[in-house]
Amino acid sequence: MLSVVVLLLAGCAQAPKRPPREVLTPTPPVALETATNEVPAYAQMEVGVVVFDSAVQGRLSEELGEWLYTEITRKETQYLPYLVRNTLVESNQWGPVRVLPESDPSMDLLVFGTVLRSDGEVLELEMKAIDSTGTEWLNKRYMEVASTDDYPDTTRFTPGRRFDANNFVDPMQDIYDQIANDLVVVRDSLSAQRLQEIHQIAELVYANDLAPESFADTLGRDAGGTLIITGQLAANDPMLGRVEEIRRRHYLFIDTVDEYYRALFDEMQPAYVLWRRYALEQVETESRLRVFNADDYADSNSYLSLIQRYDRYKWSKIYEQEFTELASGFNNEIAPAILELNQQVHGLSGTMDSQYRQWRGILREMFRLETGLQSPN
Amino acid sequence: MIAFPCQLRGWRLLLGALLLLWLPPVTAQTTDSLPKLNLDQPLRPDFTGSWEKDFTRSDSWDTELDRLIRIRQEAYDRMRRGNAGDIGLNQGPALIGSSRGGANLVDLARLAEYITRQTTMTIAQTRFEVRIEREGDAALICGIEDGVITSFSSEHGTEICGWDRQQLIFQVRLPDELLITYRFTLSSDRQSLNLLVSVSSHGGDPFNLRQAYTRYTAPADEFNCTQTLSRGRVCSQVSPL
Repeated sequence: MLSVVVLLLAGCAQAPKRPPREVLTPTPPVALETATNEVPAYAQMEVGVVVFDSAVQGRLSEELGEWLYTEITRKETQYLPYLVRNTLVESNQWGPVRVLPESDPSMDLLVFGTVLRSDGEVLELEMKAIDSTGTEWLNKRYMEVASTDDYPDTTRFTPGRRFDANNFVDPMQDIYDQIANDLVVVRDSLSAQRLQEIHQIAELVYANDLAPESFADTLGRDAGGTLIITGQLAANDPMLGRVEEIRRRHYLFIDTVDEYYRALFDEMQPAYVLWRRYALEQVETESRLRVFNADDYADSNSYLSLIQRYDRYKWSKIYEQEFTELASGFNNEIAPAILELNQQVHGLSGTMDSQYRQWRGILREMFRLETGLQSPN
Repeated sequence: MIAFPCQLRGWRLLLGALLLLWLPPVTAQTTDSLPKLNLDQPLRPDFTGSWEKDFTRSDSWDTELDRLIRIRQEAYDRMRRGNAGDIGLNQGPALIGSSRGGANLVDLARLAEYITRQTTMTIAQTRFEVRIEREGDAALICGIEDGVITSFSSEHGTEICGWDRQQLIFQVRLPDELLITYRFTLSSDRQSLNLLVSVSSHGGDPFNLRQAYTRYTAPADEFNCTQTLSRGRVCSQVSPL
């Protein structure tokens, strides 16, 4: 026990100072790098965009009702990854790109995101991309600032004028284009052999996930901690064949999961765009209301001054409460879509994350049954 | 010869019975220490309902102002009689002015009237919060838990709320030390609601206005409404029983 305390104290004493946080500037206008010719097969990586995390606490303008904004940011973490996914698909630079509820060992490349700030005006993301060997491709923060010009009148849709998703450009699209371009830069800096290795290691990582006792000797770690191939199975090894078969079934499942996230995205997009617009207007209005000078009240103790002070407080509070009502409206509107997402997969129960884990467990059991391997338990 | 065994057994039984009656019951410490839930005496009074102002039992701001000025006048007169000579006070401002340089009594009274013009209130209370809707004004919302809660904060004012035993209190602090306090009290039969509004400036004497409300039965809602974002408030008709 004493040694643990000593180690902890020593760790505290030696903890490196954090580098000062870089000052972010908005992402400049970016053109998405699309592939005009077919990308070679070894460069067509299977990409998984994992549902984002959120570092946003929710707007704390009043303690009561904070949970509403937490709900919104939670929904946002399932919406924003699909924008990244769509951008990667549109670039034509990659193999299949899917949104996943959590990290998946079958992917060549996994993209993770954390929402650092999202208030209608500013979107700040921390993005990481890691390939199957554990090598980090991307670890960068992106920021973009929206303006009311990004929300044309067509976004004020009505029953008579529906939301036109095909002609709507997300105000934060520059962030997603920049992320896609940064990933392409990293990929193009790698050799064909290296990219091929990433594919092979992804296959072996998946095999290890299915049956670690059978494939433990195939992978090791180099001095830097990244995965390397230490043992090869023959190309016609039946075990490898079964892994590939299970992997194909797994791809069918995650293709379906990706479809469900698409359905959620389509359902959510009109309301989310409207919400972002209202949130931007809220930020801009608060900025305008902040500019006031008590001296403007002249004799600050006159009846007129007292009334003015009370009215300013009253209307700022009413505005805040109405905005909270909008947040509640957004959650109400999207709740059925989230519910549908979580109920989609027949035979599995719980949230999408839970169903996903159940599915992977089912595949492991199937693999054991088919190969006659004993369960570790 | 003494019939010792039988007699002894009888005394043993009697002694055992006495001991059983004397010893306290052995129960789990945690069960005894738990407070018993008394549904007849809830933790917080339930303010839920529709309330309309009872003008006969509510203060009129000008009457209350006159009363306060009269009290000050009498106090001023007593003070003047107690002094040998004229102490040179200007009576007018001394009666209505603030001793600390804040707003005068008349302006505070007019402000109190301005902020209590609502004739009806609707209160919804759950196990988590109390929400007081007032026509033409922002809702007052507070939690149920103990302690002071900051219910609203901006550059234009800060509002805190909390419970003082069975009373619900909101305190609004506006710029330049203007303080407004609302104190809600429910009668024991839950048919009357008392609202005490207190307005003060720069820490001076407050102007208090008491408003009485009576419960009334609002018409039943015909519609079941849900707030959405893109379609506004969406309502469906409540099916008749």
